[in-house]
Amino acid sequence: MFKLKHHQYGYLFVAPFIIGFLVFGLYPVVNTIVLSFTDRTLMSSSYSFTGLRNFQLLFADKTFITAIKNTWQLWLMNFIPQMGIAFLLSIWFTNNRLKLRGVGVWRMIFYMPNLMMASAVAALFFSLFSFYGPVNQFLVRAGFLPEAIDFLRKPAVARGLVVFIQWWMWFGQTTILLMAAMTAISPSLYEAALVDGAGTIQMFLRITLPLIKPVLVYVLVTSLVGGMQMFDIPYLLTDGRGSPSNSILTNTINMYMKFHSSKGHIGAASAVGLVVFLMTSIVALLIFFLLREKHDQPAKAKR
Amino acid sequence: MKTNYRSMTIVSRIFVYLFLVILVVVTLIPVWMLIINATRSTVEIQQGISLLPSKYLISNYKILLSKGLDLPRGFLNSMTIAVLTTVITVYFAMLTAYGIVGYNFKGKKALYNTIIVLVMIPMQLSIIGFYQWMSKLGLTDSYASLILPSIASAGSVFFAKQYLDSIMIQDLIDAGRIDGATELGIFHRIMLPIAKPGMFTMGIFAFVASWNNFFNAFILITSRDKYTLPMLVQTLRGDVYRHEYGAIYLGLAASVVPIIIIYFLFSRYIVNGISMGAVKE
Repeated sequence: MFKLKHHQYGYLFVAPFIIGFLVFGLYPVVNTIVLSFTDRTLMSSSYSFTGLRNFQLLFADKTFITAIKNTWQLWLMNFIPQMGIAFLLSIWFTNNRLKLRGVGVWRMIFYMPNLMMASAVAALFFSLFSFYGPVNQFLVRAGFLPEAIDFLRKPAVARGLVVFIQWWMWFGQTTILLMAAMTAISPSLYEAALVDGAGTIQMFLRITLPLIKPVLVYVLVTSLVGGMQMFDIPYLLTDGRGSPSNSILTNTINMYMKFHSSKGHIGAASAVGLVVFLMTSIVALLIFFLLREKHDQPAKAKR
Repeated sequence: MKTNYRSMTIVSRIFVYLFLVILVVVTLIPVWMLIINATRSTVEIQQGISLLPSKYLISNYKILLSKGLDLPRGFLNSMTIAVLTTVITVYFAMLTAYGIVGYNFKGKKALYNTIIVLVMIPMQLSIIGFYQWMSKLGLTDSYASLILPSIASAGSVFFAKQYLDSIMIQDLIDAGRIDGATELGIFHRIMLPIAKPGMFTMGIFAFVASWNNFFNAFILITSRDKYTLPMLVQTLRGDVYRHEYGAIYLGLAASVVPIIIIYFLFSRYIVNGISMGAVKE
């Protein structure tokens, strides 16, 4: 009797989440899927189902392909150095021989940019690197440049800035996560390896890496999912259309431009959303399950 | 041999500290310049870079107001949304997590796995379907569409579940039951007080995420008087402010400084909270 009651209460406690998810999470996804098969706009209430037409148009559209390429590039270009620095820092911070002081303070400072409002940061860099902005002032006055450069009209600079801002905002968080994983490893493992004559690199590859793998997977997947939806920074850094010459046009900007076009093509915008949604989810889940399975195997083999 | 080894450690220590100092400068300079420039006049800003504050904070503020940027209003709007979102996120995440941790029911495992998968799915990309659905319900241009979805915040439930797993005291709950407390009463009067530190950490993250959220508000809110701070920041790039650098920096600083203050007050909770969701997978 008492037990049965418990079952019911469990459902009661999770019910608001499930209802909230169905209404605000799942239904919008379903609705996006339905819309992506229509020619619906915001301007008229009549619409018709057009089958796969939206998708055919998308894949024939160079802008869409550019946006996908850009988004991957911008994400990879910030993720790799972000991981590099985070690895370096977390190894140093947890190193027993170096015994660095003030690890907590360093870590706290490095994490701070992560909490900054991305739109404000983008607007800040827009202002810093504008034609009459302080960066030009400084470089010209110090004699590094003969005359001011319109930085934000140079594709390479615009890209570099997006990558830098993303890196700047996220390397601290990744460091904290890697550090937490590394400190969770029992020191006795390293001691045993040392007795067996293992070198630093060997210990890193054979002990540290395999044991922090779950956290690596978490960082990789969450960063990928965030990166594929990148919007605020590239949107606010230039004109909101991915300029110069579409160099920082990302998937979400592309989707927004369709949504915000004069007619409000929500059918076409949904198709962009859906394709990117599927691409990201598949890659994320694939990474998660592939890397996770491999992690379980050695444990089984041992037994 | 031994001295050689020690001196090598010292050399590498110096190198590491040097590297860290450079990284700190890189990390802090943009934020520092933002705040300093908010106190400098446009003329000063154009004359060169300075790392020391000046005295034009108030005149910059007046310029902002004269150009029609209602900073206090935006602040209030953002604050309202962030506070409500935080309360709803934390309460419902705890409720859901307690349901999963405290009870055994059919489909519990499936629900939890769904939540983990949801953390890994780019839900923001269904915004168009969300927008159209909200406009059907008459909730566009209303804060409800920004706040209510936090009832089902998968990331927060994930965090809350990890946290409850680590602090759950079954004996206390059983004692409550023997004393005749209702199940909801046990959750409110026993579980929530024990879980306060975790709720606080969750709350900070929910607050910051809501405060900084630009995209959803940008899509859903249209009335000028309902604009949140990130939306006002976006308007700062417009032509009206073309040469009012001091005022622009002030507008940006105003949206960033509250978070910096929160961070300095609660950085311990925040830094510890980041790894809590991830490490114990």
